[in-house]
Amino acid sequence: MSELIQVGAPNQRPKAPRADELNLRFSPTAISELEALKTHYPDLKSCVLPGLWIAQREYGGSLNGEAIAEVAHRLERSYAEVEGVATFYSMYNTHHDVGRHKIEVCTCLSCHVNGAYRIWDYLKSKLGVGNKETTPDGMFTLEEVECLDACDRAPLLQIGDQYVGPVTEADIDRILADLRSKSDSTVVQMADEIVKVHLRDGNK
Amino acid sequence: MSVNLFKDVAKPIMAGFGITRRRLQQRTSKYKDVTVQYPEQRREQYPRTRWKHALKRYDSGLEKCIGCSLCAGACPARCIYVEAAENTDGERYSAGERYAVRYEINMIRCIFCGYCQDACPTGAIVLEKDFELANYKRESFIYTKEMLLDPMPK
Amino acid sequence: MAAVASEVELVNISINGVALQVPKGELIVESVKRLGLEIPIFCYHPRMKPVGMCRMCLVEVGFPGPDGNIRKMPKPQAGCTLPASEGMAIFTDTEQIHRDRKGVLEFLLVNHPLDCPICDRGGECPLQNNTLFYGPSTSRFLELKRHLPKAFPLSKYVTLDLERCIQCGRCVRFTEEISGDSQLAFRFRGASMQPSTFELTDFESKFSGNVIEICPVGALTNREYRFRARPWDLETKPAICTVCSNGCNIWFDHRAGRMVRTNGRTNEAINEEWTCDRGKFGHEFYNDSNRVKHVMVRNGDALVESDWPTAYDAIRMAFAEGGNRVAALTGPSNSNEDLYLLKKLFQTRFNSNNFDSRWTTYLPTAEDDLQKKMGVSMVQNTIADFESMSKVFIFGSSLADELPILFLRVRKGWFNNGNKVVVASDKPTDADSFAAEVLRYRTGTESTLASGLLALAVEKGLAQVPDATRQSLSKYTAEHVSDETGVSVDALHRAVELVAGAGIITSHGIFNTSQPQDTVETLAGLAMTTNGSFNCYALGANDQGALDMGVVPFGGGMDTHSILQGCIDGTVKALWLVGCDPFELHPDYDLVEKALENVHFLVVMADHQNGAVPFASVLLPETAPAEQDGTFTNMERRVQRMPQVLAAKGSAKPAWRVFSELAIRIQPETPPFGPADCMKEIAESIPSYAVADYANLGGEGVLIR
Repeated sequence: MSELIQVGAPNQRPKAPRADELNLRFSPTAISELEALKTHYPDLKSCVLPGLWIAQREYGGSLNGEAIAEVAHRLERSYAEVEGVATFYSMYNTHHDVGRHKIEVCTCLSCHVNGAYRIWDYLKSKLGVGNKETTPDGMFTLEEVECLDACDRAPLLQIGDQYVGPVTEADIDRILADLRSKSDSTVVQMADEIVKVHLRDGNK
Repeated sequence: MSVNLFKDVAKPIMAGFGITRRRLQQRTSKYKDVTVQYPEQRREQYPRTRWKHALKRYDSGLEKCIGCSLCAGACPARCIYVEAAENTDGERYSAGERYAVRYEINMIRCIFCGYCQDACPTGAIVLEKDFELANYKRESFIYTKEMLLDPMPK
Repeated sequence: MAAVASEVELVNISINGVALQVPKGELIVESVKRLGLEIPIFCYHPRMKPVGMCRMCLVEVGFPGPDGNIRKMPKPQAGCTLPASEGMAIFTDTEQIHRDRKGVLEFLLVNHPLDCPICDRGGECPLQNNTLFYGPSTSRFLELKRHLPKAFPLSKYVTLDLERCIQCGRCVRFTEEISGDSQLAFRFRGASMQPSTFELTDFESKFSGNVIEICPVGALTNREYRFRARPWDLETKPAICTVCSNGCNIWFDHRAGRMVRTNGRTNEAINEEWTCDRGKFGHEFYNDSNRVKHVMVRNGDALVESDWPTAYDAIRMAFAEGGNRVAALTGPSNSNEDLYLLKKLFQTRFNSNNFDSRWTTYLPTAEDDLQKKMGVSMVQNTIADFESMSKVFIFGSSLADELPILFLRVRKGWFNNGNKVVVASDKPTDADSFAAEVLRYRTGTESTLASGLLALAVEKGLAQVPDATRQSLSKYTAEHVSDETGVSVDALHRAVELVAGAGIITSHGIFNTSQPQDTVETLAGLAMTTNGSFNCYALGANDQGALDMGVVPFGGGMDTHSILQGCIDGTVKALWLVGCDPFELHPDYDLVEKALENVHFLVVMADHQNGAVPFASVLLPETAPAEQDGTFTNMERRVQRMPQVLAAKGSAKPAWRVFSELAIRIQPETPPFGPADCMKEIAESIPSYAVADYANLGGEGVLIR
């Protein structure tokens, strides 16, 4: 888990893992996908973003240090460089371990005036978690996000790669029930979709 | 130009001694003693008199001095030597990260200009009214941090 | 880097109404310097690519309109990313720009803490300076500043204070572009953006000290220098680093007789402005408590404090026999003057040639000299040559560890000019990351690989050799070499194209391998026959100088190994160790221990306590390099002057003075009165050093060829 600098850190920093100490977890499919993606770009640096998507899928929805190190290792970049990229983009889940479903609530202007915070508060009380927190059963992660670019459907939720809106409190009960019954993680599913898009785009 | 012995010489002298005579007569009433019997008697000093430096403390007892050496930089006589060190959680001397582990002023060199007081960002060094700095040895004029630092508040 | 094309096309621009011609595409921030003007900068660094992150270098830009009047662009532009083009009119001093600069600085200071009094950068801080000259006197920002932990230990040497970071990216770009380890990156974004290492692990760079120097604020500070002094407390003198043979130029900062820190000093011929960590943090020994300060003479089991005349008398007695009965061994950081006078003392007073400065397993003999044998020098290129050399072959050396500044130059050549680098090494090295070809051979097969490459070059017609050599190379077929060394045949074929005509870099470390002379000769031959160049660089601070001064037993003396063996056998009665710890330098610990135990009389001349001191009969305090005036010859044979910075500790004397004082006690003559006199004497006996007169040793030093 990537951390912000904390007070009272020990004087001696741990060493970054060497290449031979890494616990590589990419499946054979993932490796072949990454190999295919490498050919899409003039150099390996350009392949970091899709590589991270593959890692997000392979590591169950979030990018921890091991995942970042593996991508860096496979793309011959330094760990720090890849971590810098991963922590910059908010769609990579580097700040926290996400649950199986990530519910992102837009609270920008249009959603706000249409009652996004009512929805937000309802979700919070319903799930019992705050912003960027995961339910104890590891099912849901709640996150407040900026404009999702679908103001016509305000108030809007994003779950996986699906937009849901406009939503009411009643809808939310139904959505949560649906998600609970789903066996697949929408977070992983979304990463998978994005990897597929990357692969398809290159083959055009 | 001719000199008039009475007008130009005797008269000014008499006028001058006249002041002395008046003062002698009015000594007890209008004018007070100019001379005091130092060291039994001490005259009150002016409020902005600048003599020996003092290193101040906060009410909590922490030293105000953070060992930044700005006083040494401002000093035109180069008479201040500061060596800083880092506060630890176990041993805390000042409020910030840094404190002065050595703070020395060479009082022979010091010209009591007060620039150090001006430069101090925390108001730690103040020139106070203790002017009795005479000593027998040159080495004794190096005032160390222990000699300058105010005592711990009760 | 200012993008200057090879054939320079000039364009006409004007700066503040002054017309001038500059190369097309030159960055405005550089063009402005031509007029002696200055643009305030934070993120721009002349040796790195511009990014335009801090917006401090804003200038107004205009172009002549159809009516001939200058029409300004509506918004100011960043001078560090703006290339010069025809007709451009730049304004750096308008009312608008003054307001813009104030605004930028006010924004930068919104989150920058005002803890300048305790900040190690305070007093030499670009942010302080720019704010003083260009910034607002007050801030309108009354809200709470961003608060983050302070004094985070990023590595053994570097402390990170995130609050102070203005996110200019200099450190990040340094690790990416210059040192190449990419250890630092901007993690997170927005207000929590922080330049730091992967998951805050240890910042393991060999060049991390430089980020401290290029940081324009006090965000990255020196852990060793932390709170030691403020810039105005320091006395600064130009000096050279004596940790390795690169001879980097440094500023030596000292206070009250103590070394405080060193910073890189610009010398375009050597280190540009960089330093390596080994050098930057390698000067702490000046303040060590174990410095030798007094003359000690053995009395029974103990060394007792004595004085110089007593010591001289004792040495005279012990060395009186002379000839093969006495010997001297020198260490890596004695100045040329020390070494020359040592040699003179031994040759003229003790009638001996038993002195050696080399400590490798294999010690080349007088017959091994490449100059005699093949007519080529061991050092053919300067450090700066490797920037423009299109092919570089690093053989058997971990360059970043052995010669760090040369490593930066080779990497710069690759980074800026796309030079092809081939690395042959038995262990992974830092240069592998940018090498076009890595030849990973088995330890001990160096000479086979070198011969294999030469044979392959001959086979491919890249090298012309006499038939006899061709015959001797015939057994080194690609397959045979591949079997022996473990390098694949394909790799050999690919590498040989790049190796032919390349500048070959190897170091004296090669003499610690097996059959080093064959390797060196083959590599030199490879360079000779393919129009390349060959370099076998020295490693110790003045090892090259020792070779030049002739502190090698080529006049019929014994070499290091025979001297130590002689001590054990009893043939060598008196041994003088000049600034060296044989336990550290010599590969065979037991041999050294036996030798020092058995030698009859041992003079140890050292600046700090070392392993040989307990065996000493006489212990002489020697001044460390920065405590005496002298010259050092770096690995490219550049003679540079190391002036005296600190006072000598205790009764320590420079080694050259000791040798000359002893010499006149044995047989009177006019002694040299200073190191400059010594250099005059050196010039008389070693003509190539005539150019290295003290009058010429300013600037970049003098290159000896």
